[in-house]
Amino acid sequence: MGGTMSYKGYWSIWGILLLLTMTMIAIEALTLPAAVAILLLAAAMMTKATLITGWFMHLRSETRFIMWCVVLATLLTAAFLVFLLVPDGMDANRLAEYP
Amino acid sequence: MGSQELTGTSGGHLEAPAAQESVWSGGGSPYAIGSKKLGMWLFIVSDAITFSALLIAYSYVRVASEDWPTPFHFYPSVVKATVMTLFLLTSSVTMVMAVRAAKLGARKSAAKWIGATMLGGLAFIILHAIEWAELIHEGVRLFQNPWGSPLFGASFFTLTGLHMTHVAIGVVYLGVIAALFGSGRLDSEDVEISGLYWHFVDLVWVFIFTVFYLI
Repeated sequence: MGGTMSYKGYWSIWGILLLLTMTMIAIEALTLPAAVAILLLAAAMMTKATLITGWFMHLRSETRFIMWCVVLATLLTAAFLVFLLVPDGMDANRLAEYP
Repeated sequence: MGSQELTGTSGGHLEAPAAQESVWSGGGSPYAIGSKKLGMWLFIVSDAITFSALLIAYSYVRVASEDWPTPFHFYPSVVKATVMTLFLLTSSVTMVMAVRAAKLGARKSAAKWIGATMLGGLAFIILHAIEWAELIHEGVRLFQNPWGSPLFGASFFTLTGLHMTHVAIGVVYLGVIAALFGSGRLDSEDVEISGLYWHFVDLVWVFIFTVFYLI
């Protein structure tokens, strides 16, 4: 039964996830500069994703083959799309060129 | 060409060692993981790439549009989405409890935890459907809305709709697993695999919640 934890361990992860969610709502409610808020929200979001995949889905105790398949495939695709598309989209009002 | 034709002879017929035959008949684990579980992980990877593409497409149209609407105010939208998040996160914990009970051989307990997970999923679907109805009542459609860029409705309904479909399919899937595992027709690995699917649904919501409601 590799990777399973005690009841207490799972509820602790749940508590951390809730705490991160509340922190994210607080960040949204504060009037922080947009870049800072986005950076903090993205960091909290990735932490939550890591906790869910690592502890609830037990990815950290899976074989290396599965771990690398999941991590590399999703992160490389996301990074490729972000760096390919977002700089172009940030050209202000780009979609106005296509009525 | 079957495995028996590949190795050894016996009375004019070729014979394979039991271990090799087991691999050829699907009983082996070439990547040190069961074939059903491997299949679910590969499905999750492909589905994650689909959702990544949709979320990045949403980000693109958002930053490229001058008048992107932001209709999700703290109350009631963010509060409601937070309650939906609470339901999904809690259902993930009940799902790991189900997997744990299944591994320990407690079939009735596992079925009960799966039932609690299904309730969390149903509560999420009901709240989300109410939100959809409210947005539609306010005039949001796939290609128009009262506030700004018409692409808002298309991106919101596409992403949340695809996610809600996953949740609905997950609830049905878990119901089948609970019934079959409870009656002894499935083993604990099947519960674990259904758990992977359910946690993935929760994982996708973490991204949708952040990108749509908070940023």
